[in-house]
Amino acid sequence: MDYYFHTEQVSVGYQGKSLVKDIGIGLKKGEILTVIGPNGAGKSTFLKSVARQLAPVSGTVYLEQRDLAVMSGSELSKRMAVVFTEKMQTELMTCEDVAATGRYPYTGRFGILSKADREKVEEAMALVHVDEIREQDFSRISDGQRQRVMLARAICQEPEILVMDEPVTFLDIRHKLEFLSVLLELREQKELTVIMSLHELELAKLVSDKMLCLRGEYVERYGTPEEVFETDFIGRLYGIDEKTFIRNGKLLAYARQVGRMPEERS
Amino acid sequence: MGNNRIKRQIIAFLLLGVGVFAFVILNICIGSVRLSLQEIGLALTGRGSEETMARIVWDIRFPRTAAVLILGGALALSGYLLQTFFNNPIAGPFVLGISSGAKMVVALVMVFFMGRAVRVTQTAMILAAFLGAVLSMGFVLLMSRRVNSMSMLVVSGVMIGYICSAITELVVTFANDAQIVNLHNWSRGSFSGMTWENVRMMAVVVGVAFWLVFCLAKPLDAYRLGESYARNLGVNLRLLRVELVILSGVLSACIVAFAGPISFVGIAAPHLVKKLFGTAKPLLMVPACFLGGSVFCLFCDLLARTLLAPTELSVSTVTAIFGAPVVLWIMAERKRERTG
Repeated sequence: MDYYFHTEQVSVGYQGKSLVKDIGIGLKKGEILTVIGPNGAGKSTFLKSVARQLAPVSGTVYLEQRDLAVMSGSELSKRMAVVFTEKMQTELMTCEDVAATGRYPYTGRFGILSKADREKVEEAMALVHVDEIREQDFSRISDGQRQRVMLARAICQEPEILVMDEPVTFLDIRHKLEFLSVLLELREQKELTVIMSLHELELAKLVSDKMLCLRGEYVERYGTPEEVFETDFIGRLYGIDEKTFIRNGKLLAYARQVGRMPEERS
Repeated sequence: MGNNRIKRQIIAFLLLGVGVFAFVILNICIGSVRLSLQEIGLALTGRGSEETMARIVWDIRFPRTAAVLILGGALALSGYLLQTFFNNPIAGPFVLGISSGAKMVVALVMVFFMGRAVRVTQTAMILAAFLGAVLSMGFVLLMSRRVNSMSMLVVSGVMIGYICSAITELVVTFANDAQIVNLHNWSRGSFSGMTWENVRMMAVVVGVAFWLVFCLAKPLDAYRLGESYARNLGVNLRLLRVELVILSGVLSACIVAFAGPISFVGIAAPHLVKKLFGTAKPLLMVPACFLGGSVFCLFCDLLARTLLAPTELSVSTVTAIFGAPVVLWIMAERKRERTG
């Protein structure tokens, strides 16, 4: 077993209570793992735990066979970047300022950007097509633009591995595809490894090497897209049965769905 | 990075520099005795005709102006640190009850020692103020774990301030007359009666604190995107929090020990400076807030001394008149951003 990134019997959760138990994943360098599952399944909790934002309740996360928990902050910051969903309140920061914070691990005592740093920022912003909003206030751009600026920020950090929580949620379909193709590009150029959660199953199928399906206390399934997308599994994962929701190609109103009692409506 | 932006920042720094310089001159010239620059020059070189004039300039106006400059800067800086720490634009040493806490402990110490006819040294005052500042900050921190709304945090800070002020009043009531006079002026906030000895002490304390804050500019920059990203960038959050609490406590304590609690400068000055610079980059904001606080306080102290001369207003009165509207402005602006 010489995985680039792997976890051993990791249980994740808050305040010592596990939400999901015994997660074991293994990724080679340059592989893309997507985490799927219904809302509240613990996807974000898992991502926070592998990004060392949250200590796992038990188990160990390894980066190149080394325990992530004992790695120094500055070393980890040069190897792993994150994109999270939480809303940020930035004060008077342009998109360029936000992207440039990714250079933090590489700057000196006072964090002053060198010419080379600026070029890296510019490159990253061009790569995700946010160079034209460089001077705009970060708090006044759309959610979709914000997600792309945050990806530019992560790219500036020159990571080997990228951990992202629903990075394409607010993007339109074209930008979703573009976002993911940038990831594939980075994988080809720099062997970037990616761990991310996605709600878009079709997209997950398109880009993933491995998929982790979470639901309930244990890992529901972990494997290649082919294994995950076998008949009916997705329906079971999300607790939906196509016949329940859809008839003659149309979504049914709640009470008309099979198995729902009209009387229950109040 | 646009050239315009750099130009704007240079101009802003020049403006603040000129502002500090101009107000220093005005503060020295204007007062119950009005002096011309020439007279001041003569007084300083010792060639002045009158002994009293030299004394006014050298022993009263100079140290007072220097103290306003240093403490004004310290106030703005401690406000800036608290705003960053609590991620709350209307945090400051006064509204969070930190000044009042410091005032309470200083009053207790003063009454206790004066009652035993022991002179309270400056160092003891600063230590007492620091203890008080850290105590009330501890309370605010405890509250901030329970309430996560910005306004509730400020409300709890104001309540802590009231409790501390009430205890201070109680102590003052039971102290005897001579002490009360001493305590009363100071507890309302005033820059009067500064000596060179005071100035030297505060210059050392504030100077060291300023340098340490300046060295935190880089982690503070990373902290601007919130804790998760700061952690990801390798910032040691626990250490940074401790450093912020201690440094803002030291700065607040130093102000209270020498000038008593002074309201609103800690909120108004950083906000105005950010608007002036069009950025909130900590590397620029640390020196800029300091200068901004100095200008603000020099201006307010000048008014406090001259508006109703020969009666002197408490400087807190003047800072409140100019500072409180800024707080309202901040709140209105945030509301607009959220809805629009």
